[in-house]
Amino acid sequence: MMLANVYTKTILDRWKGMAIAAGGMALMLWFAMAAYNGIDTDFFDRMPEFWRALANIPEGGGVTGLAYSAMFASYGALAVGSLALSMGAASIAGEERDGTIGLLLANPVSRVRVLLSKLGSLVTVVAGGVLVLWGAAYLVPVLVGTDTGGMDIAALMVHLVVVSVFFGAMAMAIGAWTGNRGLASGATAGVMVVSFIVTGLLPLVSGWESVPKAFPWYYYDAAEPLINGIGWFHLSVLLAGIVVLLALAVIGVRRRDLEEHSVAVTMLDRLRANPRTRKIMEKVAGSARVSGITAKAVSDHQTLMIVVSYVMVLMALFIGPFYRLVDDMLVDFAKQFPDAILSMVGFADLTTPEGWYQTEVFSLSLPIAFLAVTLTMGAKALAGEEADRTMGLLLSNPVSRSRVVLGKAAAMVGVVLVVAFLTFAGTIGGSLIANLGMGYWNVAATSLLGMMLALVFGALALAIGAATGRVKTAVYGSAGVALTAYVANVYFPLSDSLAGFAKWSPFYYFLAGDPLNQGMNWVHFGVLAGLAALCFAAAVPLFQRRDLRQTG
Amino acid sequence: MIHDPAIETTGLTKHYGDVEALVALDLEVRAGEVFGFLGPNGAGKTTTIRTILDEIFPTAGSARILGMDTHAQSVAIRRRIGYVPGDLSMYPNLTGRDTLTYFANLRGGVDWDYVGDLADRLAADLDKKVGDLSSGNRQKVGLIQAFMSKPDLLVMDEPSSGLDPLVQREFQAMMREVAAEGRSVFLSSHTLSEVQRVADRVGIIRTGHLIAVEAVAELRARSKRRIEFQFGSPVEASLFEGIDGVTDVQALRRRVMLSYEGHIGALLHAVAGHNDIVDVTTHEADLEEIFLTYYRDEEETA
Repeated sequence: MMLANVYTKTILDRWKGMAIAAGGMALMLWFAMAAYNGIDTDFFDRMPEFWRALANIPEGGGVTGLAYSAMFASYGALAVGSLALSMGAASIAGEERDGTIGLLLANPVSRVRVLLSKLGSLVTVVAGGVLVLWGAAYLVPVLVGTDTGGMDIAALMVHLVVVSVFFGAMAMAIGAWTGNRGLASGATAGVMVVSFIVTGLLPLVSGWESVPKAFPWYYYDAAEPLINGIGWFHLSVLLAGIVVLLALAVIGVRRRDLEEHSVAVTMLDRLRANPRTRKIMEKVAGSARVSGITAKAVSDHQTLMIVVSYVMVLMALFIGPFYRLVDDMLVDFAKQFPDAILSMVGFADLTTPEGWYQTEVFSLSLPIAFLAVTLTMGAKALAGEEADRTMGLLLSNPVSRSRVVLGKAAAMVGVVLVVAFLTFAGTIGGSLIANLGMGYWNVAATSLLGMMLALVFGALALAIGAATGRVKTAVYGSAGVALTAYVANVYFPLSDSLAGFAKWSPFYYFLAGDPLNQGMNWVHFGVLAGLAALCFAAAVPLFQRRDLRQTG
Repeated sequence: MIHDPAIETTGLTKHYGDVEALVALDLEVRAGEVFGFLGPNGAGKTTTIRTILDEIFPTAGSARILGMDTHAQSVAIRRRIGYVPGDLSMYPNLTGRDTLTYFANLRGGVDWDYVGDLADRLAADLDKKVGDLSSGNRQKVGLIQAFMSKPDLLVMDEPSSGLDPLVQREFQAMMREVAAEGRSVFLSSHTLSEVQRVADRVGIIRTGHLIAVEAVAELRARSKRRIEFQFGSPVEASLFEGIDGVTDVQALRRRVMLSYEGHIGALLHAVAGHNDIVDVTTHEADLEEIFLTYYRDEEETA
């Protein structure tokens, strides 16, 4: 029933991304366990229920449970799920966008068989990534001299495969019905992230405890497979969902006209086509968008900018009222947190609104969101146009290479500035709603420092792209450096001998000055601005001295 | 008005590692001419173009465009040229008009009435997104983009790909008009008929070496052509044997086909005594033949 060549090709196209994600997670698990190892585990018995729910730490899990959960139950699972849904979204809609679906279906194969082959490769790649994590879960405790703490890792891994395939199937179904890859991955990622957050937070609110059952993520870890083994009921809910989604995908792909090399129609396009809004939209979507290199680069990333801003604003708005719901618990338990955990959130004082915001929004979500913007824009700025083979045409105009570099750099600064401003506005909104009285200038300073941090790595991605002309090298290179810098900043301070080295990490200069309480630290701002400027400046000669690549 | 050669390369060489993509290319494209740059795929046509446009840098040698150094004065050069890359890619999410606006903004001084004229002549749809256009219609947007600033030099790499015959003819007329205004066209191609129709001179490149530069008219005059005689009664092949320049005679009862190199009058004079000639057909000298001849010669000397 499956097509061996489609199956194999899809795996070959995809295994690297999964290998890098799983390898990165394994590495982080190692760092985390090494840091947590030797910490007195007593505090777990006194950990507040809400904290364990937030961090996805099973009761009685100990150090290993904390490390496994931090890496596998939340961020690791989100990473594997993201790759699965991106494969699902690409399965039919991706080939349509690339214009290769016609060629593929010119062979004597049915659409359904293509779809099932893509599903087969999705399951294989997910299982492969999970196997790496599984191996790491056994290997890392040996390396750092601890044990697995009697955790049922196999059960968690089975749950992880099933939930990832679930989101992959959801993206596949949306892609099969719409032929729109962006919509398929965007909508599915939205469902995944929202259900992840809801499953983490709503159980803390009395009266809302059962609401998460309506969200798929609940069936991933609510049964606490690390402790209780495989939750067959929860698993079968997900499996039934997969069957339904696949049936929908099969129906969708059979009944629809296939697109030929389609270009997604955006909201702006629709407004532009509408007679009533045409005039103003001609300006926004047409002439303004192509008025120059910077304007076009900003417009090319409008979707990314809107999605990231939206997520940050929502998060910043809702975290404030949540503080009011949980602040009594916080006061009771905050004193008991060990350094290992406090280090992850920049040693924030959870009992204060500032500390709560730093823990929930600024310490990790903000860097991830801002870096998603700057790394994407930086990597695509030069290398992206080379891969799309438009750079030759662009540079046949009377613009120097340095002007192209600086124009693209300006676009990155502009977009991340918008995201930073909206994050600031959302936080102020959340503070006003919950009457937390956070200082405007301090929030602004923190947002600005976060922006400069993201610009450092975005500029690095741009410089790597300038030097190599390869988008993947730029993304993986800069993301790798960012991950290392993050881990160094979190874990070095836990060790007396290494603490000084944290200053080598750009992440140090983001929150080390406690900007939410102390306001702007201009020295730290200057360090980050200097690093970013250095990378931008390096990109110019790197790009000027290189032969442009002819193909992607 | 323009005195400098449009393009002038001196010992232009480009190596990719061990691969010699371009070897000591000496080439001159004069102002006011359409220069055809012929060669099979992989001969080095695109490498030549990318080098003189400063996309890639020569391993040795140099080039000047409109009298300016292609590296040091690259931006000034690009103000005065139009370019159609081979295997053209543009921004799929922009309409044709957006695309032209983008490049017009980077360039400055584009006459939009002229853009409208060009679009009419090529029957281009500028309101559709480039990504939704067929390759031929996408190519039209690329052509307008190159022509719209009325550049002193047009550099085009396989520009006719995907165009239908009617549009191709219009495009060829546009190139001739450019030359008539004293501007220049550098046309890289592997389709000979096109070059034959529009070019004043032709350069032939193969495996990185420029093997010949000739005026198209000259090539044609001294090239072999096939001539066919129709007689009222059967004739023998021996009738044509011994005439200067005649080879490869085939007689099929009343029909004789032969290859001939030289002025056609001499041949007609030689057979004028035969009063039973019903019809004469000559097949125009074909660059294809010349092209293949050059390649054969190269192979023999190699």
